[in-house]
Amino acid sequence: MWVKPWKMKEGFLIGGGLLFAGMLLQVATGPIRWELFAWPVNLIVLILLLAAVGVMFALGRKVYAFEWMMHEGAAVPCLVYAAALTILMGLLPQVRVGGMPWLSQMLRFWPFVLIWTWMMVISALAALNHLLRWKVKEIPFILNHLGVVVAIVSATLGSADTQSLQLTAFTGEPEWRAVDDAGTVHEPGLAIELHKFTLEEYPDHTPKRFASDITVYTEDGKAVQGTVEVNKPLKVNGWKVYQYGYDVKYGTESPYSVFQLVHDPWILWVYIGIFMMIAGALCLMLFMAPKPMRS
Amino acid sequence: MSWDSFVWFALTAVLLWAAGAFFAWKERKPLVYACTLTGIALFFAFILGMWISLERPPLRTMGETRLWYSFFLPVAGIIVYSRWRYKWILSFSTLLSFVFICVNLLKPGIHSKSLMPALQSPWFAPHVIVYMFSYALLGAATVMAVYMLIRKGKTTEKEINLTDNLVYVGLAFLTFGMLFGALWAKEAWGTYWAWDPKETWAAATWLCYLVYMHLRKAKPGEWQTACVILLVSFVCLQICWWGINYLPSAQGLSIHTYNVK
Repeated sequence: MWVKPWKMKEGFLIGGGLLFAGMLLQVATGPIRWELFAWPVNLIVLILLLAAVGVMFALGRKVYAFEWMMHEGAAVPCLVYAAALTILMGLLPQVRVGGMPWLSQMLRFWPFVLIWTWMMVISALAALNHLLRWKVKEIPFILNHLGVVVAIVSATLGSADTQSLQLTAFTGEPEWRAVDDAGTVHEPGLAIELHKFTLEEYPDHTPKRFASDITVYTEDGKAVQGTVEVNKPLKVNGWKVYQYGYDVKYGTESPYSVFQLVHDPWILWVYIGIFMMIAGALCLMLFMAPKPMRS
Repeated sequence: MSWDSFVWFALTAVLLWAAGAFFAWKERKPLVYACTLTGIALFFAFILGMWISLERPPLRTMGETRLWYSFFLPVAGIIVYSRWRYKWILSFSTLLSFVFICVNLLKPGIHSKSLMPALQSPWFAPHVIVYMFSYALLGAATVMAVYMLIRKGKTTEKEINLTDNLVYVGLAFLTFGMLFGALWAKEAWGTYWAWDPKETWAAATWLCYLVYMHLRKAKPGEWQTACVILLVSFVCLQICWWGINYLPSAQGLSIHTYNVK
């Protein structure tokens, strides 16, 4: 144990250490409060994370542990822990409040978050390692490992900056107040006036299509007219307006339409990560799969 | 095209695939391709017919996803055959496809025209179709894993190579399915990932196949452990596909249940 070269055993022990450290943190500080990561805290965390990865990479030749982290042997135990905790999350009901201690709120469970963070650090180090010995044939590896880091890190750190509000607009009455999940009233800086709500139904009266003709007024004096329907949101001043619901009691005669307003300032980075992963997966099957063998 | 004609299309296709599989054993290559591809074309004609008559892609109900799965198994089979020349692969894909066709004949599911607004998106077809193709490939990889674990000592490099390939291509399609789903969800609901039970199991499945891939790189000699991981991964995949409908943790929580009335 701990004799070079490290085997997977060392990786499983490090993972076990992270689980233990996570449990201590959970006892000491309680579940992670992601809302505390709102701007600029998430930026600071990101800079610290990047700095840590940079330092680890720079010391790779001197500190054996850091060099070891760049290779598959470190990835396997980490992925095993991540998979196991995610399976556990899938098996146990996840609730917002209450439930089983620790495991019913897996996303706020320190050990889960530490393991995923470890996975991101390992993946970033591996990507850097391949990036710096640049060759065209390294592109697939870099896309896959950097893509997943860019997508997951920006999605996680950006979650506290994401606003999701519900706005109910009655026909002909501009509405600027919207409520969040907790029921708190917000004024997101835009108003929606509903001109006409349309509902088409199938013969069995299940909804086929519902849409709202609206005008969105913004604080800076814009008036954007458009139709919002499911799968076709409208983009105004960094907000996306989604068709969310209507008064099902009245159906086609619904006097109001419910919209969801979403503001997600980190979305561009998530998309960049996702498109890197899609390109990476394409490369995975075209270039990374071992050559077929014929006897 | 109505569901009633499924039995004729399906059984003719199965007979053609069985003929293709037979000719594979007899090493009559042109006949293998002719029979198998005709069967595939016939089966696809039925899917297209359903698509047109339902006025929506037939991808909504469990029965409809099984339809695609039965279609993709021989597709994956003929691809593997063309690259590795395994005589048995087409027999296997025909048999497995036949099992799914029988399930569909016995339990057709609801095939109404209605398609809820959330599913009316250009992402719907690619999201489900790439997943079904991936499931077919990863199903084949699972059978390889079982086969290699049973025969242990007799396992060849070529078999391991085939399994690796199935997983690489299967995982690539699994990734496409997951990410197309994320891009679609952003357009439909405003969130690209919500840890809905189906999404949680999709993530777990994805991670399990990543374990396989990294283990194969780190310890090429430990292919038996890798095979066991493939079995675990496939269990996760099944839970993700239909098992969550029976999991207490997912009851009433998943937005991915569309065929519940």
